[in-house]
Amino acid sequence: MRRDWKFYSQLGLTIVLCLFIVVPVVMSALAGVTVNVFKGLSSGLTLRWVFEVWDLYAQSILLSLGIAMACLVVTLLAGVPLAYVLVRRPSRMMRLFEELLTLPVAIPGLALALALLITYGGVSGYRSSWLFILTGHVLFTLPFMVRSVAAVMAAMDMKMLEEGAASLGAGFWRRFFGVIVPNAKPGILAGALMVVTLSIGEFNLTWMLHTPLTKTLPVGLADAYASMRLEIGSAYTLIFFVLIMPLLIAMQALADRGKRASRRIDTAEDTL
Amino acid sequence: MSTQIRLRNCAKTFADGTRALAPFDLTIEGGETIVLLGPSGCGKTTILRMIAGLEFSDAGGVISFDGDDVTRQSIEKRRVGMVFQSYALFPNMTVAENVAYGLKVHGVPGKERDARVDAMLEMMHIDMLADRRIDQLSGGQRQRVALARAIAVQPRVLLLDEPLTALDAKLRVRLRTEINALLRKLGITAVYVTHDQEEAMALGDRIVVMQKGEIAQIGTPREIYRKPQNPFVADFVGAANRMTGQMRDGRLHIGAHVFDAVDAFDPRHGAIIDQGAVELYFRADGLSPCDLDEAHFTGRVEAVSYLGERLRLTVSGIGPQAVTIDTHADDVIETGADVHCRVNADRLTVFPAVAAHS
Ligand SMILES: Nc1ncnc2c1ncn2[C@@H]1O[C@H](COP(=O)(O)OP(=O)(O)O)[C@@H](O)[C@H]1O
Ligand SMILES: [Mg+2]
Repeated sequence: MRRDWKFYSQLGLTIVLCLFIVVPVVMSALAGVTVNVFKGLSSGLTLRWVFEVWDLYAQSILLSLGIAMACLVVTLLAGVPLAYVLVRRPSRMMRLFEELLTLPVAIPGLALALALLITYGGVSGYRSSWLFILTGHVLFTLPFMVRSVAAVMAAMDMKMLEEGAASLGAGFWRRFFGVIVPNAKPGILAGALMVVTLSIGEFNLTWMLHTPLTKTLPVGLADAYASMRLEIGSAYTLIFFVLIMPLLIAMQALADRGKRASRRIDTAEDTL
Repeated sequence: MSTQIRLRNCAKTFADGTRALAPFDLTIEGGETIVLLGPSGCGKTTILRMIAGLEFSDAGGVISFDGDDVTRQSIEKRRVGMVFQSYALFPNMTVAENVAYGLKVHGVPGKERDARVDAMLEMMHIDMLADRRIDQLSGGQRQRVALARAIAVQPRVLLLDEPLTALDAKLRVRLRTEINALLRKLGITAVYVTHDQEEAMALGDRIVVMQKGEIAQIGTPREIYRKPQNPFVADFVGAANRMTGQMRDGRLHIGAHVFDAVDAFDPRHGAIIDQGAVELYFRADGLSPCDLDEAHFTGRVEAVSYLGERLRLTVSGIGPQAVTIDTHADDVIETGADVHCRVNADRLTVFPAVAAHS
């Protein structure tokens, strides 16, 4: 195929668009390791700001990771069985429940936070603990877990698999953990990555729910931007990237693997 | 010892009100292979699932295995082997792990388990596939794995729901032969569901022909083939040609012709049909082409199809609908030609005419 002007103009446009997105990221990351942003790179590179961020915000970063993990555990424990019931025993009630579950995704995080504050704001021990933020994150991320797992479960004829296992003597729990869960793994993994990523990056809700003692990573970031010198905010962004990028890459790899598996052609011959 | 299955007064009405099965009794002897045969939707799978414990009979039904009442027992406890049309293999396990699953559930220790898995795989000729993933197998191979998995746990009964329907014709015949040999070798009580008459004849010690949730006839393949008890069974097992006639004093009149040697016993009423309008069902061998001077009837050839060893003619003008007649493969017959034929009265199945049709 000859490459004509159309090809080159498309290539050009793609590059420009990519640069448009990538340049600010690089600029911001660079700013985090520059001695003085206003003087530019000529002022030299340093890790000083990164360490400073760590000193100031280690608490927030660790809290965020902790909340993300707790959120993952809760959404796994609640989401996998929920997805199972949704797919296996569909009814009008369950559909309604699914809609209800998706509501926190549809309404603005601020509104959800407000609702939580109005309802539980008075419970002082709870209001001031990280569990309050966890509640918000679980409400916000659970639908993603459920959807992701349910999609895989819906595609795998669970009824038939379970009947096969039951005929071999397997009771419910054995079927659930030995057959259903392993076969739903792609959905569970995808859901897990999504939940962790969303939880670490969540700002809207968290900003409303946090207290000075329960600041998460993105809240700390806003704080750094607002009150510190620009280099510190940028170094903070850098740390954020380092944390979130592996998750995003893993998510992409997982999606690719799923696509490749479904594209595989059945080469087995019916020679037997 | 193989298990006898008894179903007494079983019936099934689904939650949505669908009446899938009218009350029926059925006894399946130990070691017997019974085939449930009938068109789609007639309730075959429902009976199978009731025996398995995946559906429960309406109140009043009793199912027993060798006299043990299992009516309320769940499938996990019944020790039934199941083979499904869509295999239902576990995609997260290898072939060997699939076969080992039931043994693991039953607590068979590791060494013995491995030995039994190997023996099963060998018996089904899939030992070289032991470490394959399920999605790397062909349909025929999958069905072999499914069979191995079901019989590995030495179930009391083996239940097969259209296991060959998803396979191509040649493979179907081959696996059918193997399944037949396997069932004889194991001597296990088996219930086999199919909508394919040929498969039913080839596999069944007895065949249960079903029609709209009721048992239309139970009998050996020969009985079903030669003595269908009602027009539905006759039609379903291939005697789809129909003529009408009259019985007068025990003799059959078709048009101006009279035939003596007919079997006019009506099993449903337990009596010989002596008088009255009758319907005659027959296969292509019920009429044979002949010369004009010997002929009972003359019809017109509507279509000719070449079956290899013979030629099948579709002929109008003899019965209420077109009938099929076989002739020599070498005959040259054109569509539109006249064909003369004789009635082979001993090949006719006689039923009292139903007022509704004819
Ligand atoms: N779970 C169910 N709920 C309602 N109706 C059902 C259900 N399963 C089967 N049926 C109905 O019961 C009848 C018999 O079904 P089935 O036993 O599957 O027939 P077959 O196996 O002979 O094709 C059909 O009319 C079918 O639609
Ligand atoms: Mg069926």
